[in-house]
Amino acid sequence: MSTLTLDVREVSKRFGDGETAVKAVDSVSLAVEPGEVVLIMGPSGSGKTTLLSMMGALLRPTGGTIHLDGTEISALTEGRLPDIRLRQFGFIFQDFNLLSALSVLENVAIVAELAGAGSRVARDKAAALLTELGLGERLDFLPEKLSGGEKQRVAIARALINDPALILADEPTANLDSKIGHEIMRLLRGIAKERGRSVVIVSHDQRIRDIADRVLWLEDGAFRDVVTMATDPVCEMAVERERAVRAERDGETYFFCSRGCRDEFLGGTLPDDSRHPRSEIAVR
Amino acid sequence: MLLARRNLFRDRTRFLLSVLGVAVSIGLILLLAGYRSGIYRQASAYLDHAQGSVVVAERGVRDFLGTSSVLPAGSEGAARQTPGVAQVTPVVSQFVIFEMHGRKDGFFLVGYDPAKGGGPWDLAEGREPAVDDEIVVDRTAARQHGLAIGDQIRLLDRDVTVVGLSGGTTFWAGSMAFARISTLQSLLRAPDLESFLLVSPAGGTSAAAIADRLSIPGTEVLLKGDVIANDRKLMARVYDAPIGLMVAIAFVVGVLVVGLVIYTATIERRREYGALKAIGARNRILYRVVALQALIAAVAGSVLGVGLAYGAATGLMAWRPQFQVEIEPVAIVFVLAASLLMAVLAALIPARAVARLEPAEVFRG
Ligand SMILES: Nc1ncnc2c1ncn2[C@@H]1O[C@H](COP(=O)(O)OP(=O)(O)O)[C@@H](O)[C@H]1O
Ligand SMILES: [Mg+2]
Repeated sequence: MSTLTLDVREVSKRFGDGETAVKAVDSVSLAVEPGEVVLIMGPSGSGKTTLLSMMGALLRPTGGTIHLDGTEISALTEGRLPDIRLRQFGFIFQDFNLLSALSVLENVAIVAELAGAGSRVARDKAAALLTELGLGERLDFLPEKLSGGEKQRVAIARALINDPALILADEPTANLDSKIGHEIMRLLRGIAKERGRSVVIVSHDQRIRDIADRVLWLEDGAFRDVVTMATDPVCEMAVERERAVRAERDGETYFFCSRGCRDEFLGGTLPDDSRHPRSEIAVR
Repeated sequence: MLLARRNLFRDRTRFLLSVLGVAVSIGLILLLAGYRSGIYRQASAYLDHAQGSVVVAERGVRDFLGTSSVLPAGSEGAARQTPGVAQVTPVVSQFVIFEMHGRKDGFFLVGYDPAKGGGPWDLAEGREPAVDDEIVVDRTAARQHGLAIGDQIRLLDRDVTVVGLSGGTTFWAGSMAFARISTLQSLLRAPDLESFLLVSPAGGTSAAAIADRLSIPGTEVLLKGDVIANDRKLMARVYDAPIGLMVAIAFVVGVLVVGLVIYTATIERRREYGALKAIGARNRILYRVVALQALIAAVAGSVLGVGLAYGAATGLMAWRPQFQVEIEPVAIVFVLAASLLMAVLAALIPARAVARLEPAEVFRG
């Protein structure tokens, strides 16, 4: 069992040649572990989408390597990539990109069929997954009849249907209002934690960073140093993750300012609103 | 695949447009092919119905319709003497101009001996000519010219009376008319003129055997089937190029209509196809979706087109009875194959667009 899902090493992407070349991503390294939610933030044009496309084998890097469970996907021939995309990755797009002529159920089932499932099996699987995501009543709707949040949940179901190792989402909340956006992010986090999938989200939306296990800051195609902050669930102080006292509970990692707070936390009951380990980032 | 069907039916107007495009194209092709078959059918109608399986013509004459033939004197007698010959029907054929109610029209006039055969095979009204100034004319032509039994026609330097109307004798460049052989002989001032002999072999003798045995100096002996084929070649020389050209144009128009309709539909959904590609659909699958759309449109269109062709053919023949449109089963098979080819060619137009879609494009706004 590999401990790494995706290993991005010194990856670069240059568009164009010579004078007009644009270095969209410049020697970026990143490892994503199973069950981890990574949020990549950064200003517009910083290379987030380019990086995500390369991670999902949609775009070939001009330098560096990307390994998925030990396979160097950045070196695979074009002919082998569709299968990798189909089975290893689940993509979620900013504007949903559902197939407008197909029903909700068919939108999800078709992806299972592409991976070789029979139509009966694909539909059953899709129906079960959609029901789980709260769309049981919407199976026969056309996408145009759905709200934005529902559409994105269909897209999530579509991304999950083939049990991929990694979910890649580009600005998944950009077309949603903040409440719905938050719901979607929570859903993605739940998926990572309950199903052990890794989730990489690209966004410039500050409001969603608290659902991530790790927040990375991309600027001009490179990660800038960040200090990952967490909130002590007991005293509610902001602490640097790397230096904090940590404790595991119910599969979640919590960070504390001191042993005292940790002991209190492990001994006492958990206040409801601090179920989530809070993270903050600061650019240094 | 489901997606192809859904995509098609989602843009209903567009789908109907492409179906209609194919239907018109296929209908036109079928109609043209039927028109051609009809011409051929008309061209061989006389020989198809006349008795005999061997034709004797003047040396060098190999067809019935295109060339005038003058047999050497005594040919009929020689043919009768040939062993294995059961019956010999002499005919004279000549293109003539009739003048009727002040209007002129060309007729293919066949002179025959009612006692020996070679006359109208479907006498719709009236009777065969009993004397020299009587004539049977094609019923459709008669109707067009307002002729009825008892009417007079000016034929060269004499007047003849219409005594009968024949069916199935509409003709490619005019119509047929029938008179006694002696009428033609005196009209043409050639008392013993005979153009062709239609020879029937006796039972047990084959047409080929009779053809071998008939050696009459100055004549050409041919199987009736070969004469018909030569007549068709004559027609083909006139009609096949323009009809072929029109068929090709109709076909190309069909391909373009379907191709462009599917192309615009594909371009409109390029983001969706791009998303499918990003999700992991291979080009092959997207081609299939696109090609299937073209195929559905083509098949639906050709079914409608066959219906259109039958409708148009019936209408045309009712309106202008001299046109005969014969839609043959083989032509239907041919156009169905053509519609499949149409779909394949039409799908090539959008397939290129699909192939060029970059999967990474979907992440771009
Ligand atoms: N296909 C491309 N061709 C040329 N330049 C590109 C292409 N894609 C992205 N870029 C450039 O790369 C940089 C990073 O773009 P992008 O990855 O979309 O950033 P972000 O998603 O962070 O807004 C931008 O300067 C952009 O113009
Ligand atoms: Mg972007």
